[in-house]
Amino acid sequence: MIENNNLKICRRLVRREFQFHKGRSILLTAAIALVSMLCTFSFSLGFMVYDGLVYNYQIQYGSTSHMIYYGLNSTQAAAIAGHADVKKTVLLRAVGVLSDDMMEYRNVKLAAVAPRWAESTEAVPVCGRMPEHDGEIALDELTMQSLAVPRKEGAEVTLRWTSVDGSKERVDTFRLCGWWNSNMGATETCAWISQETADRLCPDTPDSVTLGVTLYRPDDLDAQAEKILRDLGMAGTVYTTNLAFNEVRMDRVNSKTVKFFWVNIAVMVCGILMVYSVIRISAGQNVRFYGRIKSLGMSPRQIRRFLSSQTAYLCLPAIPAGWIPGFVLYMVTAPYVILGAGGLGGENPALQFFSLKPFVCSGLLSWLTTWAACALPARFVGKISPVRAMAFYDGSGTRGKKRRGNHRRTGLVHLALSGFARSRGHAALAAGSLLFSLSMLCVLWTQYVSIDVEKYLEDSIYSDYVIADASAVTGLQRYNPVSCSITPEILQELENHEAVTGIGTIRTMEVPMYADEEERAGIVESFEGRNEEGIVRKEVMADSPDWLAGYEKYRETGAYIGIATGLDGLALETALEEGEYVEGFYDPERFATGKYVVASGASDVSFVSTPPVGSRVEIGGRFFEVMAGVSYRSRMLTGSDSRAAQFNVSYYMPVQTYEELFPGSGIRNVMVNIDLDRQEEFEEFLAELTGDTGIGVEMRSGHVWNFQNARFHNYIIPMFVGSVLLLIGILNFANALVTGMIVRKKELAIYESLGMSGRQIRRLFLLEGMLHGGVQIFILVPVVSVVTWFAGRWWVVHSSVSWCATWKFSLLPMWIVLPVLAGIAATVPLCCLHVIMEESVTQRLRCEQ
Amino acid sequence: MITVRKLKKYYGSGEDLVRALDGVDLDVAQGEFVAIVGASGSGKTTLLNMMGGLDVPTEGEVIVDGVNLSGMREEQLAVFRRKKVGFIFQEYNLVPTLTVEENILFPLDLDGTAPDQGFFREVTELLGLCERMQAYPNMLSGGLKQRVAIARALMAKPAVILADEPTGNLDSKNGQNVAGLLKMTAQVYHRTLVMITHNQELAQLADRVVCMEDGRIRT
Repeated sequence: MIENNNLKICRRLVRREFQFHKGRSILLTAAIALVSMLCTFSFSLGFMVYDGLVYNYQIQYGSTSHMIYYGLNSTQAAAIAGHADVKKTVLLRAVGVLSDDMMEYRNVKLAAVAPRWAESTEAVPVCGRMPEHDGEIALDELTMQSLAVPRKEGAEVTLRWTSVDGSKERVDTFRLCGWWNSNMGATETCAWISQETADRLCPDTPDSVTLGVTLYRPDDLDAQAEKILRDLGMAGTVYTTNLAFNEVRMDRVNSKTVKFFWVNIAVMVCGILMVYSVIRISAGQNVRFYGRIKSLGMSPRQIRRFLSSQTAYLCLPAIPAGWIPGFVLYMVTAPYVILGAGGLGGENPALQFFSLKPFVCSGLLSWLTTWAACALPARFVGKISPVRAMAFYDGSGTRGKKRRGNHRRTGLVHLALSGFARSRGHAALAAGSLLFSLSMLCVLWTQYVSIDVEKYLEDSIYSDYVIADASAVTGLQRYNPVSCSITPEILQELENHEAVTGIGTIRTMEVPMYADEEERAGIVESFEGRNEEGIVRKEVMADSPDWLAGYEKYRETGAYIGIATGLDGLALETALEEGEYVEGFYDPERFATGKYVVASGASDVSFVSTPPVGSRVEIGGRFFEVMAGVSYRSRMLTGSDSRAAQFNVSYYMPVQTYEELFPGSGIRNVMVNIDLDRQEEFEEFLAELTGDTGIGVEMRSGHVWNFQNARFHNYIIPMFVGSVLLLIGILNFANALVTGMIVRKKELAIYESLGMSGRQIRRLFLLEGMLHGGVQIFILVPVVSVVTWFAGRWWVVHSSVSWCATWKFSLLPMWIVLPVLAGIAATVPLCCLHVIMEESVTQRLRCEQ
Repeated sequence: MITVRKLKKYYGSGEDLVRALDGVDLDVAQGEFVAIVGASGSGKTTLLNMMGGLDVPTEGEVIVDGVNLSGMREEQLAVFRRKKVGFIFQEYNLVPTLTVEENILFPLDLDGTAPDQGFFREVTELLGLCERMQAYPNMLSGGLKQRVAIARALMAKPAVILADEPTGNLDSKNGQNVAGLLKMTAQVYHRTLVMITHNQELAQLADRVVCMEDGRIRT
């Protein structure tokens, strides 16, 4: 038999379906638009976080290039640039590297201006310009701050630098012509000089080129880098690959991003439920329709085409309609999410990482969701014969035991109960999804409100504000005691501000020290011994080679770096009065004499990291007696100490004593507490005071803002999923009401024909609605309360953030939803009744069941 | 034309087993008009559905115009129904979103076959539908709907017309008319007609009357 399938007829049928069922079609389109919106939102977030994390890693690498080759000559560089796998290259000719001690955590190359390299490493001046004349230089702000260079065009800059081959070190003076914001994540940057200057400084510079390479495919970079070198016969050339595309990093990016994409699975499942819940209103009609057209000879292939056309008709207007609000929602949310994820600021990351991928993915997923939902009735029909499909009736009868005994009166309540019983399956589905989503939302909400910002601040910061010297703003900077950016005038102004309730300064100086055998024996014994977890203490520091080198030197020779720390006011109180004493005690009167110091080490175990109480130490030519040992409060200081001082002992002394030992040394940090009612005013004052000095300010409000953003970022996705599920639950609830009532229009006509008045029918429907609503509320309130109480409490005690959580029980999401459910229970039945009553009793009596 | 052999259709199992058809044998010749009568639940409709490939038997075989329906795939059955069988249902089963004309031509449209315009005009004139071609089913009376169903059943020029109580929803006058039309069109177009009816008067119009009882043909 020749199978001749005309597929055009399917489109006509679909078109007519839409013309005949406008209300349902509009409802379906709205549901699909909602799915499209949610998918656009979550896909956009997912792709943005992915791109943001990759971008962050690129920033840490210091370049957008996929790999960088070092030590090439010009011919080799040209050969790589011409390789088939290479998309583009950027080139740098460095003449040397800054070698000042203060630059030891960063690698700053002195190089002739290379605009494309500068762009790829974000090293383009934002103030002033690139060097054009001999003797000019452009620097990044961190370098300027570390070297105490003022932010002033024309300022004199004296640099110590080493030639590329390391053969000679020299000191030269330049004129500052421009500077740019430092890339806080990267350890490498450039100090730009003009070509003329470069030629003058190094007339015999070897032909040494650094080449940044961008590939067509940024995957398996190491293999590609090797292949290029092999192809060009340049094996052995030194190169690095961009960490952003490193396999481990990519895995990390994927693992951080995957949760955003998982959401889409939930959205899809919920979307299918939502779309199907609309289709299900006329499930019986649909099944009979499919049965009818099958009986007339519509083949499975034609039915599949019919479904595809139906999906296309629904999706074509709905998907674009969902893109717009989805993108707007994403625009609003993106700045909070990306901060939590990666810490980018400035431009809205929604625009910064704009891509068409989320729209395509959202479109495809929405399409699939719609198709799956539309296919459900057809799949059902596929399992039964056309005969059964044509005779299908979707009003589920009341099953169970038949009533025996005396006849009872059939009142409205009984009829309402009977109606409710018939749609109990739908009601159970609604109750299930409402229970799940509300429990999830209430538990999440309880967690959200239980995370206590005050508790977090108590454990995270020692003062409302920490003001940092310009050379100690970030951990990439080694603190430079001669920087002196916090001047006595600035300190005076701070002290005099009326909002200030407490203030204290911290000054530090690295001092070479020596411990005799007796003194170091205790410390060495402790570090070679095992801690409570059975790990050798020094091995805990295995990831810090500088610390290990310092410790070995100390163990073998007794030489180590002590950090003389002058403290006063709030800083002294924080370090000594609130510190954790591991040995001895702090006596303010004896301490003030300047003959005593308090030793501070990383360990909270006596003798592990500090000399014992009573021992004498020589600092800056003066002897002090160790009065007490306290555990080190690492968060008190900003910036870094030198690499050699990674293994150190800090010695706290009064500021006066410190100044006697190290006159002219600057202030590293100022700790400030204020009257929090005057926070805004004080922060304006601070902004004005620090201005363009490079001084760093860590604000309490900044900590609060970061905390709130991190909290928001952690909860936005699960709450979003919970909200979507809740929406589906509410729609299912409304649908259970609609389905239970609309399908009974013939039954109602029978009641009416038997004499039931319009008022009685209204009461019947209202009763049924109240029954539905009441049952939902009766189930939801106790179950959600109990689940939230136990799950929330368990979380507060056992989660990794329990240290900053205070148990707060809140069922806010449920209290918001219950009135909505009650409103639906009261209004939907009346709307259904209105729709039913538009047809006359006779029309309804004639209609199919 | 139609051969039914040892046809069985059981529903349920154990105590709930229902033998809707329990070994039915029947032969219907080309051009013959057979009426099937019997009480409710005797298996008339089940037998008709089996003959039309609308349902699958538990056992036995049905051969229509030389085509054995046993073991046919869903796709083949659909094409078989479309080409070989014209159905007339008691509930009409018109597609509510299509006009009268579109409903009549629906099986041909499914097949992608161009209608025989002359035959279409002839049938619609014969059934008195010319004036209502652009109407939708919900605008028609029961009698007219059944006429549309008859026209639809005839349009594909099927080998067999299967009618399941085609007058069941009509008043006696309309019922007589429709039955008369059915017989006449079957004769005019030399179609084999199998009709289920409760109405003994209508059954007398048939060439042969088959009586069913408890899933078997009563001899």
